[in-house]
Amino acid sequence: MNLLQIRKASTSFAMPFRHRQVAGKHLLTNTEGAFVLLDDAEFTAFAEGTVARDSALYTRLRERNFVRAEVDQRAIEERIRTRKRFMDLGPNLHIVVVTLRCNETCVYCHASRADMSATHTDMSKETAEKTVDLILRSTNPSVTIEFQGGEPLANFEVVQHIVDYALKKNEKVGKTLEFTMVSNLSLMTEEKLKWLVEHKVQMCTSVDGPEHLHDKQRKLPSGAAALPLAGHAHAVAKHWIGRINEEYARLGLDPTLYHVEALLTTTSETLPLWKDVVDTYVGLGCKALFLRPVDPFGFAERSGGRVEYPRKDYLEFYRDAVDYMLELNKQGVQILERFAAIFLTKILGGEDPNFLDIRSPCGAAIGQVAYNYDGKIFTCDEGRMLHEMGDDTFLIGELGKTTYRDLMGHETVRAMAIASNLDAQPDCVNCTYQPYCGVCPVHNHKTQGSIFGRMRESTLCAVHKGIQDYLFEKIASGDPHVIQTFQRWTTVRDRTHFLQTCAL
Amino acid sequence: MSSSLDGFPEGQVQFDLERGGASVRVDAGLYPLEAIYGAAYVFIDRCFVLLDRADGGAYRVWLSPKKATDEQSVRAMLGELGNELLSCAWRAQIAKESRSIIEAVTARALGGARGAPGLDDLEAFDFSDEAFDDPLGIAMSWEEKYGKKKAEEPKAEAAEPDAEPKP
Repeated sequence: MNLLQIRKASTSFAMPFRHRQVAGKHLLTNTEGAFVLLDDAEFTAFAEGTVARDSALYTRLRERNFVRAEVDQRAIEERIRTRKRFMDLGPNLHIVVVTLRCNETCVYCHASRADMSATHTDMSKETAEKTVDLILRSTNPSVTIEFQGGEPLANFEVVQHIVDYALKKNEKVGKTLEFTMVSNLSLMTEEKLKWLVEHKVQMCTSVDGPEHLHDKQRKLPSGAAALPLAGHAHAVAKHWIGRINEEYARLGLDPTLYHVEALLTTTSETLPLWKDVVDTYVGLGCKALFLRPVDPFGFAERSGGRVEYPRKDYLEFYRDAVDYMLELNKQGVQILERFAAIFLTKILGGEDPNFLDIRSPCGAAIGQVAYNYDGKIFTCDEGRMLHEMGDDTFLIGELGKTTYRDLMGHETVRAMAIASNLDAQPDCVNCTYQPYCGVCPVHNHKTQGSIFGRMRESTLCAVHKGIQDYLFEKIASGDPHVIQTFQRWTTVRDRTHFLQTCAL
Repeated sequence: MSSSLDGFPEGQVQFDLERGGASVRVDAGLYPLEAIYGAAYVFIDRCFVLLDRADGGAYRVWLSPKKATDEQSVRAMLGELGNELLSCAWRAQIAKESRSIIEAVTARALGGARGAPGLDDLEAFDFSDEAFDDPLGIAMSWEEKYGKKKAEEPKAEAAEPDAEPKP
């Protein structure tokens, strides 16, 4: 059953809608992002405009603004405004690459790390200060400074300097500051940990799944860590995740909210290990698991044949893993999948969690900015990754030479805002998932040679569509436990302990 | 030069592996020129690209791979060109139809991020620049634009020629 089979389609009953068949039902979405799931008979009545006014179906359609005669214009405006709230604010996420040096060698390294001897890739204190000065020019009242690398602990002195300098400068600016660090944790020491906890720097790490896979994909040379566990990347990460969580508990912070977050990069070897991956994360005390596919950046391109896989296989892996996570939730274990949480917040929550890679327009520069160790400025971290591969398409400025307003008005930024606007993109413009989705111009540029890309051939689009198909199948099943778990996954609680405000 | 390639209509494409080139005929009535530019540009990292006119109101896009290639790769390349042509043509159409919403969203997103100019920005502003063009007279007052024209000033007397030319 599809629209072509409707004999007497009404042109006046329905508000504009997009539709797609999911789990034997018709999924309809509209501009404001409301959805309904209809069976064949309901869909026919809807398309023909013959839904009885006193029926439950009419009420469902009316409440979600699918009936033209009953439309609540003000509610539509308000819902769109809520979803697009991020457009009024400037960049919140500021990624600072304090060094390219890293002591681990990962088969897929997106950041194109440098050897530990490459100290010329360390950010200087002078560059660090200029970076902070520019970050505090953002129009966003909340700013997150995320330390990345390489391995940021390899240039810890500059991390400390940035935190101290930003806190001091912010006394005159009055923004809400947050600091996060993405680290493999292998260069952590008790002294560094004490300082990071005292200065409220959140920590995030990478865990590739079970120990044997993690150690195979993330080589930690013998003697690189300051522990007897040296040589075993997984054991080192596990030790420090435990220690950090202990420190949070010592401060009396709620462990369901305050714990180390870890990121997964899914390679071909991860796919059959979906259960082990979930069990590993639960065992480490993680409450969230982000099942990220491998990206075509950095070393991943070179080792593509070994780490890549058809996205159809990834989506099977995703379904198996999330089904298992839902089962664990049923047993009282709290673990959520990050992709699902992002989409469900939009689908069920009616809000946009402002995940910069999945929004329209995307967050390139207007939501995030990446600052390289040498003072070069990029639209986003992915743009910086391409720079390390010799492609400067997404280079938009340099510290000391480019002003904040010049960055935001840069022609590349303007082009990316248009290229990632789903109202301007073939396929997306008609896609049922348009209200919830987003595209990445850098990914398009890298894989298809144009920032606009061709969505039907995009691996990213396949992943986004496949995940949303899965989520709507689950919603369509009506399983109360699944719906309850999904509702819980949409609840975003701020980690207020890490927010550092300074009253002017 | 062969004009037969699996999956493409006879005569639509031409390729010569030995001389390292392939081309596809593009109907000018079906694809706007900007779509042809956009689609051809995608290949410049892999190929030398040339646009040419073909018979019957058509264009021809020539692709010459920078590295040696085989028939399968040529087929994939021309197929990709065809898909990119369709994508660019449709996007051009969408851009025309949705121009107002695209402009509104872009302006809002960029405006929100850029914010109002601060004193530093004003300090850096080049006030010596030429005044902007105002062909529609938007910056003129109503009186200047529509008010009664003043009686024409009498033409200035032609200046007496200088007794001596100025240096």
